[in-house]
Amino acid sequence: MDARPITSRTSPVSPQTGRLSVGQGRRRHTANAGYVLVLPYIAHFLTFVAFPLVFSFVLIFHRWDILSPMQWIGLGNVHRLLHDRLFFRALANTGVFLLIHIPLQIVIALALAVFLNQKLRLRGFFRAIFFLPVVVSGVVTTMLWDSLYAQDTGVLNNVLSSLGLGRVPWLTSPTMAMPSIAIMATWKNVGLYIVLFLVGLQSVPQHLYEAADIEGASPWRKFRHITLPMINPTVVMVVILSTIGGFSLFIEPYIMTGGGPIRSTLSAVLYIYHQAFQFNHMGYAATLGFFFALIVFMVVLLQKRVVEQETGL
Amino acid sequence: MNVRHSHFKLMLAAAVVCSQLLLLTTCAKKTASSASHLVYWSANNQYEVDLARELVARWNSLHPESPVTHQPVPESQSTEEAILAAVVGKTTPDVFSNMWPGDVEAYARAGQLVALDTFPDFAEVIGARVDPALLDEARSSDGHVYQIPWKTNPVMVIFNRKMLAEAGYDHFPRTYSEYLQAAERIVRDTNGDGHIDRWMGITDIRALWWQRFFDFYPLYIAATGGHTLLEDGKIAFDNQQAVEVFTFLQTLFARGYFPKERMVGRTDVFLQGVVASRFTGPWEIRHAEKFKPEGFVYDFAPVPRPDGVSGPVYTYGDIKNIVIFRNTRRPRLAWEFAKFLVSREADLLLLEMTDQLPLRANHLEDPLYAPYFAKSPFMKRFADQARFVRGTDTSPVLKEIFDILSNEFEACVVYGVKTPAKAIHDAARQARLVLE
Repeated sequence: MDARPITSRTSPVSPQTGRLSVGQGRRRHTANAGYVLVLPYIAHFLTFVAFPLVFSFVLIFHRWDILSPMQWIGLGNVHRLLHDRLFFRALANTGVFLLIHIPLQIVIALALAVFLNQKLRLRGFFRAIFFLPVVVSGVVTTMLWDSLYAQDTGVLNNVLSSLGLGRVPWLTSPTMAMPSIAIMATWKNVGLYIVLFLVGLQSVPQHLYEAADIEGASPWRKFRHITLPMINPTVVMVVILSTIGGFSLFIEPYIMTGGGPIRSTLSAVLYIYHQAFQFNHMGYAATLGFFFALIVFMVVLLQKRVVEQETGL
Repeated sequence: MNVRHSHFKLMLAAAVVCSQLLLLTTCAKKTASSASHLVYWSANNQYEVDLARELVARWNSLHPESPVTHQPVPESQSTEEAILAAVVGKTTPDVFSNMWPGDVEAYARAGQLVALDTFPDFAEVIGARVDPALLDEARSSDGHVYQIPWKTNPVMVIFNRKMLAEAGYDHFPRTYSEYLQAAERIVRDTNGDGHIDRWMGITDIRALWWQRFFDFYPLYIAATGGHTLLEDGKIAFDNQQAVEVFTFLQTLFARGYFPKERMVGRTDVFLQGVVASRFTGPWEIRHAEKFKPEGFVYDFAPVPRPDGVSGPVYTYGDIKNIVIFRNTRRPRLAWEFAKFLVSREADLLLLEMTDQLPLRANHLEDPLYAPYFAKSPFMKRFADQARFVRGTDTSPVLKEIFDILSNEFEACVVYGVKTPAKAIHDAARQARLVLE
């Protein structure tokens, strides 16, 4: 049994000389260098994450238009939020977007990933093509789709018209506008999820397929009983990522519709933006922001639990 | 010496040097911009940047002891956003010449602007330049004046003369019924595919508050003979004229005389003869002259009014003003420079270099400007209209009121889900709540 006091094992100071031992001294210098190297990140975190977070929490209890001094109003902003029908409309709109966007995104991304996972000629080219919209600026792609969707002059309606079909009011009908935005957002983001699914697909052990081949399983049965269960973790990740991404819907309605027609594409983030930067209601916008973040957190948590229960992960 | 120790020292020294350099650079910038020079911000479109450079060069040659530095307002979603950011960051210029009057009240209440009427020669300078009614409009609720009315871009209608002539009109329709009648003749399906492809006019259908400056608001000012949305700080648009404007606009969309889209992603629909008219300002002249196809003939006219309204046709003036920010260290000098910006000679440059109208009551009678108007007949038309313009009310919640109107506009005018009377009444009710 070791009879030495614990301090002699942990202290960097030599009990004989009272100075740092050579090994301990080096470790301390290395640690100091590490602290210096992480300083920029810590400074960035404190300035752009921690301070705004704390400051916006303080704002919840104040009325502040940026120009005038802050005015304490207690839970006034929360009271206003609870009675703000337009905010709940914006939340519902965001929900509609998610309900269309997430399933559409997963089905298309998975189908294309399975397709691109085959031994195809020009596979790299196709992968690049599908990934291209992800790296193009959101503003640019939105403006492009804005012109494609134009009711009287857009390419989509011209094609439909030449086929003898009617023109679709893509962005000018309160019932069509949000689905149209969801289609566009799916096109924009699907490349990213294709890549994630490809990673998942390539990690499926080949011997499982070989065993299924010996048993004479059809491609659909192999997909249903091997591929899908094996890529379940990827599916969970994609669902969660696209949910968080979908909740932040902003650029598309901001540019294409301004939140219309008749507020049918007013997303929660767009509404918060209007309150903060159009009307300078900073306290109220902060309250909306926290409330919205809480909702996103709860939805993602719930989603994760449900998917984990369903898949046994 | 320990190698790792020396690396650590090197990194630490580098970090300290970098942070000191950053600090020194920041301090140096601050000193240069706020102490030795007066800083002037102009709008950032090329015409106004050129104008500002010219004016500053002239000022600096006349006053080498008090130099002015010019900067275009920083690039942003809107000028208002850039100014707000500057106010928050305490980096405002001394003088700014592109201030939307709708924002002045909020800045004045926050103590960010210098009250210009505290300068002894204010009344003399402004009195010689601006119509008294316009000066009253510029006065804030505390009785002080924080802005010099500088320039205006009256909203009128640009129209395709050939299309109107084909419909049997040698002048642009002056009333709603004439306009609707002309629209009935002009709007058609030219290629026979069962779909309208030629319209009487176009306006942005999105519920963006500032878009109403180019449809509802000028029409409302015209219909009321020059009234704005508020009167004595209270809602004044809950009236029959506003309902008539909404009814007129709703009819245009309901009958397909205006398209329910923005025609994005294609060339100028007015210059291509796809739409016969558009609400616009004098900036359209340079654009039309540059891009019009051969043989294209256009003209400008006042906005239409309800039948039976007489007197001069008023419109929205799209006014921009000059302000001095409170953080200036040399307010007297800033005032002198602001006066220089609104001098007769500076106003001539404004006309010549930007095709924008100075808010000068007598500019059509002033011989200094006569040669310019003689060679710019369209600008003469805008100058005539500039006598009958209105700006916006002084209210810190004006944007919210326009936002409310814009949403009702969308619901009623574009999509027809509300009657005009209900839409106006609802807008007024909501606006009263915001005002309270």
